[in-house]
Amino acid sequence: MHSIWAVATNTLKQAVRMKIALVFIILLFILLPLMGASMTGDGTLKGRLQTFVSYGFSLTDLLLSLLTIVVSVYSLTSDIKQKQMYTILTKPIRRFQLILGKLLGVILLNVILLVLFSAVIYAIVIYTPKFYKAGPDELAQADNEFFTARAGLTPPEVDVKQEVMDTYNKLEKTGQLPIGVSDNKMASESYIEALTQTIKLGKRAVVVGHDLVWEFNNVKPFDPNQNLFIRFKYDVSVNPPDLQVFGKWFVGDDRQVKYATGIQTPIYTFDRKDLIRTFHEIVVPADAVAEDGYLAVGFFNVPLNNTVIIFPPQEGLEVLYKADTFTANFLRAVFLILFRLIFLACLGILASTFLSFPVAILFCLVIFFTGTVSEFCLESFTFLSRNLSSVYSYTIRPLVLLLPQFDKFSPVKFLVPARLLSWSFLAEVAFSLVCVKALLLLLAALLIFRYKEIAKVIV
Amino acid sequence: MEYAVEILSLTKIFSDWWGRDRVYAVDDLNLQIHHNEVFGLLGPNGSGKSTTLKILLGLLYPTKGKVLCLGGEAANPKISARIGFMPEESYLYKYLNARETLDFYGRLFGLPSKVRKMRIEALLDMVGLKAVANRPVGTFSKGMARRIALAQALINDPDLLMLDEPTTGLDPIGTRQIKDLIIELAKRGKTILLCSHLLADVEDVCDRIAILYGGKIHAEGKVKELLQQTNKRQINTGSISDAAVDKIRQVLRDEQADCVVTSPMDKLESFFVRTVAAAQQNSSSTSGAVSTTKIGHFLAPDAHPENILDKLVSTPVSREVPSKSPATRHVVPLETSEPKADEQLLGKLTEQTGPAESKPAVKTKPVEPETPQKEQVKKNILDQLTDRSSGQSVNTEQTDKPPAGDPGNA
Repeated sequence: MHSIWAVATNTLKQAVRMKIALVFIILLFILLPLMGASMTGDGTLKGRLQTFVSYGFSLTDLLLSLLTIVVSVYSLTSDIKQKQMYTILTKPIRRFQLILGKLLGVILLNVILLVLFSAVIYAIVIYTPKFYKAGPDELAQADNEFFTARAGLTPPEVDVKQEVMDTYNKLEKTGQLPIGVSDNKMASESYIEALTQTIKLGKRAVVVGHDLVWEFNNVKPFDPNQNLFIRFKYDVSVNPPDLQVFGKWFVGDDRQVKYATGIQTPIYTFDRKDLIRTFHEIVVPADAVAEDGYLAVGFFNVPLNNTVIIFPPQEGLEVLYKADTFTANFLRAVFLILFRLIFLACLGILASTFLSFPVAILFCLVIFFTGTVSEFCLESFTFLSRNLSSVYSYTIRPLVLLLPQFDKFSPVKFLVPARLLSWSFLAEVAFSLVCVKALLLLLAALLIFRYKEIAKVIV
Repeated sequence: MEYAVEILSLTKIFSDWWGRDRVYAVDDLNLQIHHNEVFGLLGPNGSGKSTTLKILLGLLYPTKGKVLCLGGEAANPKISARIGFMPEESYLYKYLNARETLDFYGRLFGLPSKVRKMRIEALLDMVGLKAVANRPVGTFSKGMARRIALAQALINDPDLLMLDEPTTGLDPIGTRQIKDLIIELAKRGKTILLCSHLLADVEDVCDRIAILYGGKIHAEGKVKELLQQTNKRQINTGSISDAAVDKIRQVLRDEQADCVVTSPMDKLESFFVRTVAAAQQNSSSTSGAVSTTKIGHFLAPDAHPENILDKLVSTPVSREVPSKSPATRHVVPLETSEPKADEQLLGKLTEQTGPAESKPAVKTKPVEPETPQKEQVKKNILDQLTDRSSGQSVNTEQTDKPPAGDPGNA
């Protein structure tokens, strides 16, 4: 352990004294406050905060990622190239200890810098409302929609497969299928597809005079005295003249009515008139949620409307509630960056065990930037492998899956819309990014370095 | 564990990218080095010396054959904890200063901080870099960096010391110091493996040598046996009259032998060392390394490797002060008269440095009353270096080794 620690502190000293880290530190220390002062967003306090967090975090993330790559690659390749390895490896240190020491040094540097910069960002965010003389409305908006960590629940997708098959069989029996569908496999498949779409749409559509009820479990508001937010968007079959529709909403535990158990938690009703095809939020006191975390949201299409109302898939309806504080969410976002940096440190070290400095840097950058567009890569490869041979999907696809999915785990995606970044999600990222992917890289690095001949060929 | 180093039919082939054999760097090499032996591995450039050394240290892997250091593989921390290695060039971290560099290596050995600090100070003192200990190593001259490289090789008080071209880049004083150190360490029971093509250096210090060419050993044996000209004899005398010379010639003619009579030349190295040492005592400082003849006290002969740590730790710091007094020894000569300088420095060079505790006694030396004449001094140097007493006027001892330093074997 003492030798790992000796190497780690030496790596740290190297990064600091060789002024690699210094460049990044100075850049961030100048840029962050500058951004805090100059970014206005859409002009409101919330917009200002969102833009700053978005750019500040992205910048810190990018610069620290680059720094990690450079430091981890430089540290090992320079030791090999400038032959300090000769004197180190002939001391009582195992090669794996050397690698672990280097890794620990880079991670230590990351932790220090991350703590430093996230503290700066946090301080700027917290003090912005004080410097920026915001009205009470703006403050309330910022409190509700920025300085919070809201969990979002969307209604689970209903499984319509059985229903589709039943309908199809019924149509087939009664001979109502279009001509040629039943004896052509492709035609029948596309017909079933169309049927599925229709039935799915039926689940989201509300005919005039009817209602639709969504049931949510596991609603766990941070504080029952605060509010829930029902976020929704209407779509219609026929545009009303003023592009607005009426709606009657019920929010609460509907089991009390159904089973006549007596009213324990309140059920709130709202009569609204809203613009179609834009998001709206209904503010509901959080005590509507039952003891066991059950919440029902009902919508009644009032006869005044004269049109079918459709809730778009995925974003049609969502229940938002404050599940944690902004600070805790911020902290987890920082952890998210740390995991990413740990992965990059392992990557850099792996690359430098078998590549020289410039090539290793290039290699890491390619992986890094591919990782930031991983969803695009995954999609395109999935699409390609569908058309190409199975060999393809067994060789390239696993490799693509091994790529880090930085875009999926971007902290900005959570902090800007004030979405809850849950511990379980964090644990999931830690597992896939650090425990699996980074560990694999590290093991590969240890294996390669174990058998590497350190001395150059001098004859 | 019969040998300190054992090389069994070692072959190292460097192949090209396609796996075709390109160069036989070492070709079926067999070599044994005994404990407490100073062994010199000689050879022209590219003869496989360094490759052999690197395989011994585990920096390269053998294609065939086996190497054993102290009975095991050098990659094993238990073995490498007892090995000191000084590479052919000083590969140091430029951004660390001298003290931090040694501290880093000390920590790799897991030395407790107290022991580490003590050894670092002793080593810095020994290699004469105490004054520049806080300067980044990157600003050091080649010779100064060499000295740090030497110090890092000694920080663990190694049993087996491997030196790759130890004297390249060093000034004659540094060279002399390394040679003295090797002899001193050998006296203290260490095994030393030396790689070099500077023959004079090897000749002065090695017990046994092997000459490598093309990865094969072409000659191996004791330096004495390899170099002795058994058909010749040499007689050294004090200053004798021409009449006496004629008489000797007469005797030799009776023996049917021929002889050449000359005044022996001083070695340039000795002369250089003396001159610089004198200058050093006059001028107070240099930006470079200070030459010393000190040996780190922890490398002392009675410090057994098993208990050296305990000993050093158990000794209270206050008691260490006298043993650190070598630092003050520099000051003493300044107060003494100049002619004594030579005597004193060389006395130090050849003194039978005892354990650290006995060192302060040396301080009294300059105060000794007899002031030898300049001429005498010159002879004294040679005599002392060859371990002869200064009083002897005629010495008929067979000299089969140059005088520079044989105290270890005399």
